[in-house]
Amino acid sequence: MRASRSRVRFGELWQAGIGWGLVLAALATASPARAGEEVGHSLTLSTEATARQHWFWLSDILLHRAGLFDADHGQLIGSIASGSVGVGFAIYPHRSLDGSQIVIPESYFSRGVRGERTDVVTIYDAHTLSFVAEIPIPPKRAEYMPGVASSALSDDGRTLAVFNVAPAQSLTLVNIIDRVFIAELETPGCSLVYPAGPERFFMLCGNGGAMVISRSGEEGAWAARRTAPFFDPEGDPISEKGARVGETWLFASFAGQVYPVDVSGRELRFGPTWSLFDDAARAENWRIGGQQLLAAHAKSNRLYALVHQGGEDTHKDAGSEVWVWDLATQERIARIPTGNPLASFIRGQAHIGADSVSDRAASWALETLLPNPGSTGIMVTPDDEPRLIVVSLMPPAVIVHDARSGERIAEITEPGIALGLLARP
Amino acid sequence: MMPTAPKNALLDWWTERLARRLAGRTSRRSALARLGGLLVGTGALPLLPVARGHATPEADDVPDDSMIDGPAGDPTDCNYWRNCAIDGFLCACCGGTQSTCPPGTEMSLITWIGTCRNPGDGRDYVVSYNDCCGSTLCMSCQCRRTEREKPPYVLFQNNDLLWCFGTKSRAVHCSVSIVLGRADEA
Repeated sequence: MRASRSRVRFGELWQAGIGWGLVLAALATASPARAGEEVGHSLTLSTEATARQHWFWLSDILLHRAGLFDADHGQLIGSIASGSVGVGFAIYPHRSLDGSQIVIPESYFSRGVRGERTDVVTIYDAHTLSFVAEIPIPPKRAEYMPGVASSALSDDGRTLAVFNVAPAQSLTLVNIIDRVFIAELETPGCSLVYPAGPERFFMLCGNGGAMVISRSGEEGAWAARRTAPFFDPEGDPISEKGARVGETWLFASFAGQVYPVDVSGRELRFGPTWSLFDDAARAENWRIGGQQLLAAHAKSNRLYALVHQGGEDTHKDAGSEVWVWDLATQERIARIPTGNPLASFIRGQAHIGADSVSDRAASWALETLLPNPGSTGIMVTPDDEPRLIVVSLMPPAVIVHDARSGERIAEITEPGIALGLLARP
Repeated sequence: MMPTAPKNALLDWWTERLARRLAGRTSRRSALARLGGLLVGTGALPLLPVARGHATPEADDVPDDSMIDGPAGDPTDCNYWRNCAIDGFLCACCGGTQSTCPPGTEMSLITWIGTCRNPGDGRDYVVSYNDCCGSTLCMSCQCRRTEREKPPYVLFQNNDLLWCFGTKSRAVHCSVSIVLGRADEA
């Protein structure tokens, strides 16, 4: 019996050995390219500037990821899962100054939607999108939809600032070069955070002023100070969803008044203000609205805004058009219909293309007959042939336009489930 | 459509009422500690609205919804009169009601507020929007209304924020609309 058992054991080992041998042989032959097909490893992202110029990040609040998309090819090319699924909305990847790393503030809970909370600033490799390091921070980071200005990287690329609500408002500062937590500053009455030069940020405050957070010198301490009010938070609040052109941040008020904030000097400079809407547009009740409603293209000095027709307090209504202004003249120079995201969503689900006559007819019918729920966010790529990316939270849809002509170029099928923030890679 | 009373007076009145209601409670130290942290240095800013969501408002403070016909009287409809500054999922569609959380969730004590006009009596009421926390998004009866809603720099009038504070879970499931009282009594 013992001999028999030994033989059986030996037989099993022998068979297992052959099995593992085959597996290893398969893996060994799988790694190199075989008949033109690459298998068995993970791809890395291109470092070619021309290949990357129309890429964009798009967060998904249900999938809890930042997806990296290529507007030219209309597809997902990589992603980073970020934070505990089911908790929070603010997923915003920052690109390190040298382009080698992605930096994202995240919150994790030990039991999914409950348990011990851990907030971190996580660093990922920008080419492999793999985890590199994390820096623990106070578990207070603000979560709000969609998370515009929830964190900011200083213009010198050294310091990441993370806006906290616990519900006391504060700001966490992290040195991402040395990968260390610096400090948490109390910022009572002030929210959000925007980069404003090397080692400097500003926040917006409930009294209509700004709070400037800066560091004095290389070894100096971080300190906060308040400016005088520059907008009216009761009469005509500015949307926190601003856009930056060079050294100037632009914020639009609910009524369409533009408030420039120049961050080039030692002190912030405000104004003069100007209106997005002329009398005719106001008479037709055009207003700004959406969850990421302003974008800019610095090279052509143009401002883009998502607009809709609606009454007062419709600042979060989805947009039916993107309007374009020349910032030099402050004149509107184009109107771009954003298309119907519901039609785009159905086209993707039903695999309706544009090659056949029947597909084009079906597409036209969808665009024409379906109600248009409007679009919720926009971004413009910074290159010489800029793309206007227009997204819809729900139904999830992404439509890509030529930012200069307004022509619709492409749409991305199945971009996610519930779409959040757009960001430049 | 604006409340007839100045906003700061309204908040003072409301905060006073809430403070009285909170005074008898001793089991919310965690939330109160956070409240203390928030109040440090806020100076002239409006006081923090902390709603005791479990409290029952005085009967004469709450108008009778059964007198309102149509969507404005239906708590499962986005056009329900109390929903004028809500952004999220209506708890009445998620296993709760307009003022109670669904099973498996817990009401946040720290809230944002709105002022909504009741179509039954034409009066404005202060409404507390409390998040119910403990499960992932309900995904039924999504509703986004923004009357007098403000960006996150006016924190307690902002309906984008995840308001699950002082709860066991930070996961928001749905939101309720609790009438705190008449705005014109401020």
